[in-house]
Amino acid sequence: MTNAKFQYAFSDLGITVSHIESILGYDENGESEIIQFLIDEALKEAEQYCNIRAEYRIYNEVILSNPDKSLTINNIQFNIQKIVFNQLKKTESVAVFVCTAGGEIVKKSREVMMEGDPIKGYILDVIGSVVVDVAADLMQDALAKSVIQSGQKITNRYSPGYCGWNVGEQHKLFYLIPENFCGIRLTESALMDPVKSASGIIGIGEHVKYSKYTCSYCDMKDCTYRNLKDEKEERRKGNKY
Amino acid sequence: MNEILEKIALCVEFGKINKVSPYPPNMKDQDGADELTRQALDGGVRPDEILENALVPAMAKVGDKFSRKEIYVPQMLMAAKAMNSAMAHLKPFFQSGETKRKGKFIVGTVAGDLHDIGKNLVAMMIEGGGWEVIDLGVDVGTDKFMSALDANPGAVIGLSALLTTTMENMKQTVTAIKEKHKHSKILVGGAPVTMEYCQKIGADFYSPDPQGAVNYLKALVS
Ligand code: B12
Repeated sequence: MTNAKFQYAFSDLGITVSHIESILGYDENGESEIIQFLIDEALKEAEQYCNIRAEYRIYNEVILSNPDKSLTINNIQFNIQKIVFNQLKKTESVAVFVCTAGGEIVKKSREVMMEGDPIKGYILDVIGSVVVDVAADLMQDALAKSVIQSGQKITNRYSPGYCGWNVGEQHKLFYLIPENFCGIRLTESALMDPVKSASGIIGIGEHVKYSKYTCSYCDMKDCTYRNLKDEKEERRKGNKY
Repeated sequence: MNEILEKIALCVEFGKINKVSPYPPNMKDQDGADELTRQALDGGVRPDEILENALVPAMAKVGDKFSRKEIYVPQMLMAAKAMNSAMAHLKPFFQSGETKRKGKFIVGTVAGDLHDIGKNLVAMMIEGGGWEVIDLGVDVGTDKFMSALDANPGAVIGLSALLTTTMENMKQTVTAIKEKHKHSKILVGGAPVTMEYCQKIGADFYSPDPQGAVNYLKALVS
């Protein structure tokens, strides 16, 4: 089990028109041909604006403390709160990760918006978000494969700012990764620059488990992303969701 | 209602920008908001009638449909674009003072935050509600909001934040503004913001979507 670094090509991600369409809110039945056309065009262009990178570091020195629902990695204590704590209970090691689509895609998105094409600009922005998410999925799959050799499994990924874990703890998380990891800079207000970036931790251990339906833990009932992943998983298996 | 105003309103509601725009398909080859607004003005319709009886009600319909999740961001953007093509013809009348808007709305994403999509949508819809919008951009500190307010006394302020960390900066800005301009109205929004937080920091209104803000502003001046 070692640290790893990834660079993905846009085509590695296999992002489809219907995936972007569903993130925009439209269902798969193709409610709007024009939207599909615009997504298709934007996807063809987006490739050149993405510099997709992901990286994780493995830490074996982890201590979980139930009374204060905290996780200490290399002497840095994270107050991960109840939901995340419960998911990480049996973790033996932790992978700290970051992942980014790079800065260009948002820059281009805003340029296009300013030039009078807000719809294409918005679609490019959404593609940037999906890129981060899918790249993190790929990185996570790679981690799962690498730990399986030693009989271990992984948890879902958990990020500061989700499930009650304060986003301010990004600062602590960034102590655990080298400066300029994937070219990401953390601002004073705990925002990652480029904006299309994600960070977090993944638990590793013999007895940890991966849960499929994570959306139900979250309070954001109106989130456009709610259940999309769960649905995707079910559809892949041929079940009706 | 005047027939041409009705047509302009339909174009805006469904995002028909101009004659060449292919969307929506059932309005193909017809004049769009751009041409119809020109024709209306040339035909003697007053600019304030176009604003109040075509653009504002059409954008309100769009905002309501978005709030009810009947349409999504792309359609809202198309409508806003159609509205802008009509608005372009009205700009000279705003500048000369012949046509008055409802008031001024200063909007920005608070210090430390770079998220702008939500703020931009709010700005568009409020412009479509008949307000003049002054968009200060992202990462806007208290000082910048203050000087914009000094330059535009009586303007309503809108603050956007997308992370709980930057939401804290919202509080600082609200406190500072209220200290100096007690009667200024401040609206807040963004994913982590709630009505409860709005009240806690002394802001005046929270809305999860743009139309709520438009309706609040409408009530302020009516
Ligand atoms: C897409 C997304 C991402 C994408 C893209 C990020 C981006 N914004 O470009 C990615 C995957 C990269 C991402 C990353 C992260 N994200 Co994120 N993300 C989202 C998500 C799902 C949608 C955001 C969005 O684009 N919405 C669409 C726009 C149109 O909506 P909006 O900006 O909210 O604006 C609307 C309203 O809020 C309102 N409004 C907005 N401003 C104003 C102002 C006024 C005056 C009014 C009246 C109304 C109003 O009107 C708008 C139109 O309806 C939200 C959850 C959600 N459903 O909102 C989380 C969310 C914003 N992310 C969150 C977090 C925590 C993160 C990360 C910190 C996670 C991590 N550790 O990696 C990172 C941070 C990234 C960074 N750069 O630092 C949290 C933030 C809350 C918090 N705890 O601080 C959220 C709320 C998710 C959650 N459930 O907790 N994210």
